[in-house]
Amino acid sequence: MPALLMLVLVLGFPIVVAVVNSLSLPDGGWTLENYAKLPQDSRFRNSLVVTFIFVGGTVLLHLIVGFIIALALNASVKGKRFFRVVAILPWAVPDVISGLMWRFMYNPTAGIINRVLLSLGVINTYVEWLGDSDLALPSVIFADVWRGYPFVMLILLAGLQAIPGEQYEAAKVDGASTIQEFRHITIPNMRGMILIAVALDTIWQFRRFGLVFNMTAGGPGNVTEILSLYVYKQYFRYFNFEYAAAIAIVLAIIMLLLSLPYVRAMVRRL
Amino acid sequence: MKRRLQPGVIIAYVILGLVLLYTITPFLWMIFTSLKTDQEAVAIPPTLWPQEPTIEAYIQILIWGNFPIWFLNSTIISLGTALFSTMIGSFAGYGFSRFGFRGRATLIGIILASQMLPGVLLVGPYFKMLSTVGLYNTYPGLILAFTAITLPFSTWMLKGFIDSVPEELDDAAKIDGCTPLGAYLKVILPLIAPGMVATVIFAFLLAWGDLLWVLVLTSGEKMTTVTLGLTRLVTQFRIIWPQLMAGSMIGALPPLILYLLLQNYLVEGMTAGAVKE
Repeated sequence: MPALLMLVLVLGFPIVVAVVNSLSLPDGGWTLENYAKLPQDSRFRNSLVVTFIFVGGTVLLHLIVGFIIALALNASVKGKRFFRVVAILPWAVPDVISGLMWRFMYNPTAGIINRVLLSLGVINTYVEWLGDSDLALPSVIFADVWRGYPFVMLILLAGLQAIPGEQYEAAKVDGASTIQEFRHITIPNMRGMILIAVALDTIWQFRRFGLVFNMTAGGPGNVTEILSLYVYKQYFRYFNFEYAAAIAIVLAIIMLLLSLPYVRAMVRRL
Repeated sequence: MKRRLQPGVIIAYVILGLVLLYTITPFLWMIFTSLKTDQEAVAIPPTLWPQEPTIEAYIQILIWGNFPIWFLNSTIISLGTALFSTMIGSFAGYGFSRFGFRGRATLIGIILASQMLPGVLLVGPYFKMLSTVGLYNTYPGLILAFTAITLPFSTWMLKGFIDSVPEELDDAAKIDGCTPLGAYLKVILPLIAPGMVATVIFAFLLAWGDLLWVLVLTSGEKMTTVTLGLTRLVTQFRIIWPQLMAGSMIGALPPLILYLLLQNYLVEGMTAGAVKE
């Protein structure tokens, strides 16, 4: 099967190279040192924490915003198609470019965010959204919510539309309130779709690179340095190929472990 | 869902109105900024819409800048990746869908799991491999590298589409004397055409939006793509925002247009293939 051979060539071989690299010394020879160094590397530990906050924060907010909008789109409103198209637009923009768009919106003096907040009286001085070490990570997360909610919304909307209408009618006959309907019909029916959406979104968010690269490049300091950025810098800024490979393997293992239940469920369905 | 309570519908309209504002504002800000003069873009306090609209920024990047080269590079690389990975992916998907062979479930698991691999795991090895074989900073090298990212998705999506074609159809073709390849080309391919379109676009969008791989696997202006070019502009000491926003605007257009034209295919493909229930 030439197609399978191709898969092995473009994927299998590089993975082997990465593993071998991570176990090598710069001048050849085998070692576990690259992994042994990790726990002592405070920048790695910081990066791990930043990654989990970034992924956890964005996935949770994607889910909340996506769910609310999916519910609104599923209600009997006019102009559904129009609203759906508009709601998915941010998803079509490359994350590199959405990063640039938000970076200028966050601009302290010339950006629209400070301008609006100032004129509304919410803030009374120019806020350095991306330059302040307390605000930078939340600001990046907030920008990513705009970019990333449509994907989750689409999956959830497909799930909502698949719920049989009779269930709601039966509930109505029994005199259930909207909140009861939501708790006892919508949520149980949506459990599978929510899991799929969260699983896929989590994987995407662990891989996110361009958005953060173009908004802060990991700064100020290292407060927004997610693991993919740190690996990149170890590779191509400090040229520690072996150490970078070790960090990348750790990141890959985290992602594989997190996605294992999802992969297993998908394979079982075959 | 049947008619809900009236207050529910009102809340839905309010939410959708807010969504409209939330979604559109960044786009408007990008467009407005791209139409401002350099001075007006950084004026304090900022103006909302351009006081003296000008297309100077567009002229600067399109005629005096290298943007057309970037755009061409992005197009060649993304299109190449999309076609290559869809072709290989459809063969692999056909194999997974139709032939029972030993270790099939394991292999499918590996394909799925390989979607979970971070790009940064692969860029280092690819940098070394492509440099060794002389494909660093070339179109084929980049297309090959992008395929590593898109192929698992393409295979998985296309396997889903091929699964939905009844197997009796290719059995009938085989009875008529078709080889498996013949059955694939004559029976399955026409039926999964919409799925192929979705897969091509999906791979195209992935490749078009990438920064990591072009950052690592190219050097110099010759192979610069839109995303890389814009990134270089924003890391310069003096950022010229109207030009940057004009470039962002044009760079976001192909994905936006593709999406608007083919959104039904995409949504269907995503929910049927990638997110199969």
